[in-house]
Amino acid sequence: MKGLKIMSYCRITDASVIFYDREVVVYNPKDEDPWLLQIYKAKDIHYPKFHKMDNLCKAGFLGAEMVVNDDSQENKENWAVVTFNRSSSLDDDTSYQKTIENADNYFPAPSVFVYTLPNILSGEIAIRHKIMGESVHYITKEFSAERICEAFNDLASDGKIDTIVGGWAEYFQGHVDVLMLKVSVNEEDKQLLTINNILKLWKI
Amino acid sequence: MEDLVLELKKKIIEVLNLEEVKPEDINENAPLFGEGLGLDSIDALELIVLMEKDYGIKLANAAAGRDVFKSVKTMADYITANRTK
Amino acid sequence: MERILVTGMGIITSMGAGKAQTMLSLRKEVAAIGKNTLLKTVHNDLPVGEVPFDDDSLKSMLDCELPKAITRTTLLGRVAVKEAIEQSGLDNIRPKRIAFISGTTVGGMEKSEQYYRDFLENDRHSEYIALHDCGACTDMIAAQYPLGFDMVTTISTACSSAANAIILGANLIKAGVVDAALVGGSECLTKFHLNGFNSLMILDKCKCRPFDRDRQGLNLGEGAGYIVIESESSLRARGVKPICELSGYGNACDAYHQTASSPDGQGAYLAMMEALKSASLKPSDIDYINAHGTGTPNNDMSEGHAVMRVFGNNIPPISSTKSFTGHTTSASGGVESVISILAIVNSFIPANLGFSNRIEDLDFSPVMHSEEGVSLRHVLTNSFGFGGNDSSCIFSKI
Repeated sequence: MKGLKIMSYCRITDASVIFYDREVVVYNPKDEDPWLLQIYKAKDIHYPKFHKMDNLCKAGFLGAEMVVNDDSQENKENWAVVTFNRSSSLDDDTSYQKTIENADNYFPAPSVFVYTLPNILSGEIAIRHKIMGESVHYITKEFSAERICEAFNDLASDGKIDTIVGGWAEYFQGHVDVLMLKVSVNEEDKQLLTINNILKLWKI
Repeated sequence: MEDLVLELKKKIIEVLNLEEVKPEDINENAPLFGEGLGLDSIDALELIVLMEKDYGIKLANAAAGRDVFKSVKTMADYITANRTK
Repeated sequence: MERILVTGMGIITSMGAGKAQTMLSLRKEVAAIGKNTLLKTVHNDLPVGEVPFDDDSLKSMLDCELPKAITRTTLLGRVAVKEAIEQSGLDNIRPKRIAFISGTTVGGMEKSEQYYRDFLENDRHSEYIALHDCGACTDMIAAQYPLGFDMVTTISTACSSAANAIILGANLIKAGVVDAALVGGSECLTKFHLNGFNSLMILDKCKCRPFDRDRQGLNLGEGAGYIVIESESSLRARGVKPICELSGYGNACDAYHQTASSPDGQGAYLAMMEALKSASLKPSDIDYINAHGTGTPNNDMSEGHAVMRVFGNNIPPISSTKSFTGHTTSASGGVESVISILAIVNSFIPANLGFSNRIEDLDFSPVMHSEEGVSLRHVLTNSFGFGGNDSSCIFSKI
């Protein structure tokens, strides 16, 4: 049956990365590397620009990397990126503030300032995967499967966008919480994108 | 001069978050921008901040940096001639 | 599918408050960009488009009960929203279902940066902590409408936020989720982003010169712009007249760099083509382009190339009104949509101030002096945000 299907998903929390219902990376407290770098290395990703990103973009990027799983650099004009979170870019805002708060050591950092916008997250995902359809970032009080379902369905409804990468990506005060989805309009035997199905993946 | 070149390589790696690069991977005469390390416009701005913060040299704008940041060697030469720290 | 019609608008920028004042200022052809007087920053050498009213003056314009703790972004938003509500008669007859969608990035930051040291040491200004969020500003602007909204949300996609708020509102109406939407954006100046843009070295120390060969960068501005859009049936049910039609829109991603635009303006090109397609219009149907035109070497070259790719040898009159207001960032899509609609209603093309010499690589020059008595059937307005988030809207004469 044709419809908007969940092709793949990735759930990242402080404890682990879950992909296709399995824990594929588990946080190692003894490893000196921070958690997001542990995931990057464990999945053998080679994208040096990753190291320049702020934590929010790193978290969302890793989720997208897992679900897209496609190195092709073709322009994807029928794909879209839609992301949601609660704390916007507040984690990076705090880092940037530190570079301008001391009159005696006053060096605003351009590479940090670049990330003081939450939609750079959707931008980084688009740059990596050459996604040129619509991109948008929403800020909501909390995770809402309903809002995600509505946004994805709305985008796919006029027939121009056939694949969407996105979902919830939150990083704040050292905690990561990501549910990234890749959904596509097709007839494959995959789960339909519904509020209940999104909630099931969120609660995994 | 050799000490400054090595010091610069380490600082560039740190300031520009080039985690997968070691100092010995950087050829001091190779272009920093375009090919090689593939640095971009934001990296150029961070190098301008580095010049002021660590060597007391104020570059007026990004265009002024173009010649200075051609390679690690041109950076080292410029710093030796103009540093105030 | 229902047509989307505009029934009200409100605006406040460095040119002043309200549509009438905005037209007066546009006709004067003088940039409302100069020294900052309100923001306590050391960067007083950087020209800005400051709204010429302090917070107390903005409060007195609102002439209603306001919470004691309120942010400048909220005040600017409320002034513009008040004007839009009055023009559209939303306070007389409420549409069956109405949404409020507001674009902002700095939210309440202008107060947080003033008081954050106090936040750490005492409780004197702790009520401002809760006002920091983008969403808190949106909620407080929404409170300007006493009849209440069925849905309130915030879009934060940098400089395309307000344009994307307009697009989302239109999509919600077309999808039958709401019958009307009050959409746009609001943003005030803060030290945080003034310093930030300065660190990116994209600010001009003089007044900006969009599309000029010797342009050096942008000037930051502040302001708010909102429009009321509704379906044709909602308009008929409420017995109000349309001002113009939102006939098309598009959003695309440049997918090139976090803050720079691609040399051939691919994202901008795709957004403009999408807007034309959704409006069922040809490039030759566009009578005026209100460009994003920030005045940075990168944007104007990139947008210029994209315009040439879309319009070929027949580029319509084009101008950037950021030469009047500065770059109002998250509010720019709302502010410039209002200006684009004023252009249609007044048969008027605003000038592109600060222009002397054409960019060598481009085939066109912007409009140097405003034009009166020009019938404009369709106007295209561009808003491009960091993250490669590119949006275009088309407004059409009724």
